[in-house]
Amino acid sequence: MVLNTYKQFKLFGLILIMAFVFMLAGCGNTEQEQVQDQEQEQEQTNGEENSDGAREITHAMGTTEIEGTPERIVTLYQGATDSILEFGVTPVGVVESWVQQPTYEYLGDQLEGVQIVGTETQPNLEEIAKLNPDLIIASKLRHEEIYAQLSEIAPTVSHETVFDFQGTVELMGQAMNKEDKANELLTNWEDRVADFKGKVSEKLGDEWPTNVSILNFRADHARIYFTGFAGSILAELGFTRPENQQSEEWGIQLTDKESIPEMNADVFYIFNEEDPAVQQTFEEWTNHPLWANLDAVKNDQVYMVDEVIWNMAGGIKAANLMLDDIYDRFELEK
Amino acid sequence: MTKFISIRNKSGSLSYRLNRKTSLTFLILFLFSILLFLVCLSVGSSFIHPFAVINHLLGNGTGEYDFVINTLRLPRVLLGFMIGAALGVSGLILQGIIRNPLASPDIIGITGGASVGAIIFIVSFMGTVSVQWLPLAALLGAGIVATFTYVMSWKDGVTPIRLVLIGIGVAAAMKALTTMMIVLSDTYSTSTAYLWLTGSLYAAKWQDVYSMLPWIILFIPLALLFSRIVNVKQLGDDVATALGVRVQLYRMILLFISVALAGSAVAYAGGIGFVGLIAPHISRMIADRSFSSLVPITSLVGGIIVVLSDLVARTAFLPLDIPAGVFTSGIGAPFFIYLLYRNRNM
Repeated sequence: MVLNTYKQFKLFGLILIMAFVFMLAGCGNTEQEQVQDQEQEQEQTNGEENSDGAREITHAMGTTEIEGTPERIVTLYQGATDSILEFGVTPVGVVESWVQQPTYEYLGDQLEGVQIVGTETQPNLEEIAKLNPDLIIASKLRHEEIYAQLSEIAPTVSHETVFDFQGTVELMGQAMNKEDKANELLTNWEDRVADFKGKVSEKLGDEWPTNVSILNFRADHARIYFTGFAGSILAELGFTRPENQQSEEWGIQLTDKESIPEMNADVFYIFNEEDPAVQQTFEEWTNHPLWANLDAVKNDQVYMVDEVIWNMAGGIKAANLMLDDIYDRFELEK
Repeated sequence: MTKFISIRNKSGSLSYRLNRKTSLTFLILFLFSILLFLVCLSVGSSFIHPFAVINHLLGNGTGEYDFVINTLRLPRVLLGFMIGAALGVSGLILQGIIRNPLASPDIIGITGGASVGAIIFIVSFMGTVSVQWLPLAALLGAGIVATFTYVMSWKDGVTPIRLVLIGIGVAAAMKALTTMMIVLSDTYSTSTAYLWLTGSLYAAKWQDVYSMLPWIILFIPLALLFSRIVNVKQLGDDVATALGVRVQLYRMILLFISVALAGSAVAYAGGIGFVGLIAPHISRMIADRSFSSLVPITSLVGGIIVVLSDLVARTAFLPLDIPAGVFTSGIGAPFFIYLLYRNRNM
């Protein structure tokens, strides 16, 4: 039963070191290879026909060359799906919406017959390949891992996040060879923002800017959103955040009703999921004595808003609909 | 004809005993795996005829399936098989050294440690650091937590029962830590974190296969090398010591092999659960109980469970691609219960 322990130990140590080196090499290699892939791709396109207007687009995952005007486009996040329709282009493939599957109701029947290629977090690569697209619009936040594979299917551009609707429109304009339309959409938005700011400060006078809290109730806690889609739009419109909500974090979670005063602001915008458990939490929190002490509650400035438009859609159409909503709440002329 | 065939070198430092019945089981499982591979390569969003797949693999194809088979399906099947094998053998070793049929990489905190490593990465570094380093974060988590558990269990040596108790405690603490980080993270990384925790073979690449391969070809044979020790250890520490086994030393080495296998598997596929617990049990029911027979059988069984789960996961709800972790228990558990039921009078 006596074993040659020393030899076995040496072997064991060696194996251990080798395994770790392989692992590190594996991690490191992938990046290099990806860069190489991209370079190769670029060389190929460069070699072919750079002369007749291949456009070089720099985005969150690198640089991609796109020729002409892509026609078969797949969008891999909700904001891109919303935006492509505003460009007047029907995509060939989109990812499933978070709620109201397969696509959001506010987009109407514009996506009828469009292939669903899986979920935003794990789009089905085989389905995308089958559609034979000539442009894929992805998000680094969601699709960094599959970027190399997506690029093998078609030229792929990636936005950094999923909720920056203006960045999405800008990137899509470049990639789709529709920069004029992108500028039109963005200018239109800026005009509307300016219009709103003028009208609201005229109407409210000294009471503007208003402190606003974006609240979201879950089955077992409540959230205050600081930034994100709705937060960034409200900030652009000139709303201010209460002093305790100035952080650049996404927001905070409240698990205890004693924290209700944290929510305090002049106006509340609340979006909740349609779910009995959420509804119950909401009722419990809003029936708490501390709730009645909040400024927005006392002044009757508590508004329930649509969670799809305000939080889950993330495109320029949703942004405009959200702005419409705010115009209505302040009873302003659009 | 004897029941066993023994293979050993001259000095006797290496020896392997082959059981005839187990060899047959192994052969059947092996053929089944090959069949399963073929099915996995043909089924998906678009069906490719198995003959076309074979043709393609032999290099006679037209290049038509290059992307779907070479880039998407093949690495995914291979990675899945290796991950299943690693988790299965890891669980087998743990059950052997702890002498408890409930031991598995999930229970003594290896998976928990890897989860914490991965979630810290997803919540804090995703976006700034390339996602390619996520496996390393998970592996470091597994290693650190396993070492911590081992050191905490030390009191004039480590006894199996203390290792399990402290392991369970550590696993619970890791779970709490993971939940807390998810709760505090923004909504955009939450869904990524949950996907990781469920365990998925989505986005498997050749690089993953190449980085996982050394772990398999180094550590599974290493486990075989120590199979005599495990066989003796199963008689209990006292008997093993009396037979001349350095109990503590080998426990540490075997535990290390187990952590390396489970850690690397979890690093590439996330928290795929249950395989480490169930694959060794299934193997014990279909093969003889010596550790040297169980290692190859468990590798195959583990691999088959994961590959089969992933096959169901990516085809059952087309066009959705569901994480394989959802189905590992869904496929493993009923089979496990069936085996228990069938063998209830044995």
